[in-house]
Amino acid sequence: MRMNSYYLKRTVRAVLTVWIVITITFGMIRLLPGGPLEQLRGKLLRQGVSPSRVNAMIESYQNVQPNQSILEQYYEYMTALLTGDLGQSFLQKEPVTAIIGDALPWTVFVMVMSTLLIFVIAIGWGALMAYWEGSTFDLVSSSASILFAAVPFYVLGIVLIIVFGYQLELLPTGHRLSPTVEPGLSLLFVLDAIDHAILPITSMVLTGAGLQVLAMRGNAIQVLGSDFVRVARLRGLSDRRISVRYVARNAILPMYTGFLTLIGFNLGGSIILEEVFSYPGIGYYMFQALEARDYPLMMGIFLIITVALVMAVYIADLTYGLIDPRVKSGDSREAY
Amino acid sequence: MSISSDVLNEPQDRDAIIRMDDVSVTYDSGDSYVLDDVSLAIERNEIIGIVGESGSGKSMLASSLLDAVPDPGQLSGSVEYRPVQDQNVEVLALEDSELRALRWEEISMVFQGAMSSFNPTMKIKEHFIETLEAHNAPVETGLNRAHELLEDLYLKPGRVLGSYPHELSGGMQQRALIALSLVLEPDVLVMDEPTAALDLLMQQSILLLLRELREKYDLTMVFITHDLPLVASLADRLAVMYAFELVELGPASEVINTPTHPYTRALLNATPNLNAPLSEMRPVKGKSPAPINVPSGCSYHPRCPLDTEECRTNHPPADPVTPEHTAACFHWEEARTEISLNYAETGTNDGDWR
Repeated sequence: MRMNSYYLKRTVRAVLTVWIVITITFGMIRLLPGGPLEQLRGKLLRQGVSPSRVNAMIESYQNVQPNQSILEQYYEYMTALLTGDLGQSFLQKEPVTAIIGDALPWTVFVMVMSTLLIFVIAIGWGALMAYWEGSTFDLVSSSASILFAAVPFYVLGIVLIIVFGYQLELLPTGHRLSPTVEPGLSLLFVLDAIDHAILPITSMVLTGAGLQVLAMRGNAIQVLGSDFVRVARLRGLSDRRISVRYVARNAILPMYTGFLTLIGFNLGGSIILEEVFSYPGIGYYMFQALEARDYPLMMGIFLIITVALVMAVYIADLTYGLIDPRVKSGDSREAY
Repeated sequence: MSISSDVLNEPQDRDAIIRMDDVSVTYDSGDSYVLDDVSLAIERNEIIGIVGESGSGKSMLASSLLDAVPDPGQLSGSVEYRPVQDQNVEVLALEDSELRALRWEEISMVFQGAMSSFNPTMKIKEHFIETLEAHNAPVETGLNRAHELLEDLYLKPGRVLGSYPHELSGGMQQRALIALSLVLEPDVLVMDEPTAALDLLMQQSILLLLRELREKYDLTMVFITHDLPLVASLADRLAVMYAFELVELGPASEVINTPTHPYTRALLNATPNLNAPLSEMRPVKGKSPAPINVPSGCSYHPRCPLDTEECRTNHPPADPVTPEHTAACFHWEEARTEISLNYAETGTNDGDWR
């Protein structure tokens, strides 16, 4: 009963968050004086477009009848959203959903790969540092972790482009595929996609792993010093079992929520990353939309990023109880 | 506990199950002693209580019995384990694999803080199974024994085994840990402050259970605690530690009723008891030394009212008070008259504490 109410609570909260974000963006775009729609209308009128055509265009862009009351507009907008209609992009002359549908898989690919690599490296490396606590390896790794964590990923990204793209000419400097390669289920496509993703992923991983490595090191040292590990050694358990079932499991648990939320946060971080690498994912289009005041596209992508983050937190909350028996109902371990 | 001479000097005469000789534990490459030349014979089937204040080396003594001193501590001396009377195993000379077999199969240990002795992500049952498997013991018979042990400890075996550690109360975890420590049928159970985290009622009921377990499974128990009155009712013999050394050793009733070492007497005067008014309680003046700065001679001399030049320069040997009772003090005879106790000194076995 308690568990059910917990899941219900989390679900309601997730839906509520998304709804509030939609409402706020709707309100901000529409209610600010001299908002983008007025600006657009003025621009179109100055270009000599007839007022009835202007109204029709605005309506198609935003699913809005300009002469409706704000509540009616809101209702129209929400129902359009629920049917998956995010409006029409000014810039690309395409439905926003089509643009996102094309771009999102690439961003997800880069960001999920980055986050996965960050955590694989963090868990392995951090555990080794903990086992050899105080060694030269530990010292050098700690310093390197802090150094890399202090470098912004876009700075490293630019350095990587200069070195590997322009000087060594080993890897492409941008774009998600070579012009000659068509998406499809071919080895060529897969290799080309990976080739283009290496530098963005590398800049995310190198700058993002540092803090996670240090976190894992701290967790593992704490677990290694705990009574239950000492008792397990005295009970004669094999070193292998102790490192997997005792140390690794208990050290990784606290990082699980961080892992899921980092995926969500990184989707937002894609705006700068993809601009640096001219990598046409949702972040790249978001940047273009910002520059061109393409509000429907901006709102659509903003919505996707928000939903992704909310979903990440939601999944973390719902599944934490499955991996940590101490948190059956989850209340003490909410991600946010 | 019958005839025979001084325990510390000629322990060979007794049926000792574990003999410690000149056991020391040092840290900082020998600069600080946390256990200083301790010799002690633990007799078969006895319950021996090791008493001392925090930081007196009690836990180090317990750990050295299993050669399990935390790194980077250096253990020296000799710990002999005698599974049967004429068989000697030098614990400190064992290979890793032999040590693995000795621990838990022969000598088992219960730590303070049962709550942190179980892996929080594993059910209690898995702890039993993995322990049995690690020692190549048949799992089925082992689990049957676990069931019996848990029942002996007044727990519901099915429920406890199917629970995660956090689902049990502190007292239940402590008893489950005792059952886990006995699952491989060891001869010796070393308990380091096993009841420190429990309330008084639970402490008492665990002590009762321990006595029942000793009878049923022919156990030898080493019970380490800072709580003198607690162990006085349980132990056959008491060993009092001060500054990483044993200062007094004897039958529990004698140590309580006719304490001999000045430190033991001061300690008893500082312990609340029903027969002495609160105003008679006296704290032990001063503080116990840190491992890096142990006084020369008798380490208790700076706090002792009886100290003389001899105490400052010479280290007092264990002196027999009675054949079974020793005290490491040059002036123990004066101590009996000079340091009066705040309760009646009886010299009999049915003292105020028991």
